[in-house]
Amino acid sequence: MDFEEIYKTYWQKVYRLCMGYVNHTDQAKDLAQETFVKVWRQLPNFRGESAIGTWIFRITTNTCLRQIQKEKRMPKSELPPHMKLETSEVTIENHIQFLHQCISELKEIDRIIISLELEDIDQKEIAKIVGISEGNVRVKIHRIKEKLTKKFKENGY
Amino acid sequence: MDTNIDFKKIWNTQEVQKLEIADLYKKADRLKRYKRYQLMGANAILLITSCIIGGIWYRYQPEYVTTKIGLVLAILAMIIFLIPYNRWISLLKTNEGDNNKTYLRQLMQLKQKQIFQQKWMLSIYFVMLSLGIALYLFEYVSKMTGFWGIVVYTATLLWIGINWWYLRPRVIKKQNAKLDELLQKFEELNNQIQE
Repeated sequence: MDFEEIYKTYWQKVYRLCMGYVNHTDQAKDLAQETFVKVWRQLPNFRGESAIGTWIFRITTNTCLRQIQKEKRMPKSELPPHMKLETSEVTIENHIQFLHQCISELKEIDRIIISLELEDIDQKEIAKIVGISEGNVRVKIHRIKEKLTKKFKENGY
Repeated sequence: MDTNIDFKKIWNTQEVQKLEIADLYKKADRLKRYKRYQLMGANAILLITSCIIGGIWYRYQPEYVTTKIGLVLAILAMIIFLIPYNRWISLLKTNEGDNNKTYLRQLMQLKQKQIFQQKWMLSIYFVMLSLGIALYLFEYVSKMTGFWGIVVYTATLLWIGINWWYLRPRVIKKQNAKLDELLQKFEELNNQIQE
């Protein structure tokens, strides 16, 4: 697989994973860009020990985890007002916005796991990306979905 | 609890910001150049300092062995100070393609190594540079009158003392504060995985 093909196939998934982690469009774009720069640089050394997708998502999530090194993440309580939903009702238009907001309130590793799950990545693969057992992934996903459902219902979904 | 909300459907409604591949190549190039300049800059300082010291050696032809040892120690101090710039790029690498758990462990080890290096490197640097200066001065001070010799050495020792007891701890503290904070954050992330 050459780089341009990888780029076309994975840009959307990588961008959305980053968006799930940071809940900020510009930051997500920067992180996705950084991920692909790393993929481009390291592609000649990729030996196919894992599936190319697993490898790319590992780089993506590691890039997300490492970004705290560059800047301190804004504490949740200090989110600028425009990033918080004013309405208490979840409407069809702001579903995705609300989902992103709920995900951003989760712990970092949970954000990664749920974003991978929503991106329709196999749980076996998620286990390989994060480095935990498949059973653990299943339990975590179940708990996270429960939390999200609760929040959606509390907001009139 | 009922978990029948179709989050995947909602997730798939999001818009994705596009990026031209040409912009990506530009960014990759910029990064590569920046890293190269950073490395070249650090080594240029080393080279210039060594040339100046070498020039002094050649121009003034010191007679005493202490002067020569002093000069060598000063150059060595510079080299020790600059080693991390070269080593962190080559040896202390993390593998981005590893899983999150392994990667976080690597990041934690990297930070611990950096904290250790900064503390010891700086101390060794100060000791060698101070010793170098003291030895270098000996030849010239010994040709002065006793009074001026005492003045010069008192001033030098005072300067070394300020460096050791005031500047060195401050620099170490400042440099390590950020690393400590990051290490703590990475430990937190690692704990999340273990949960």
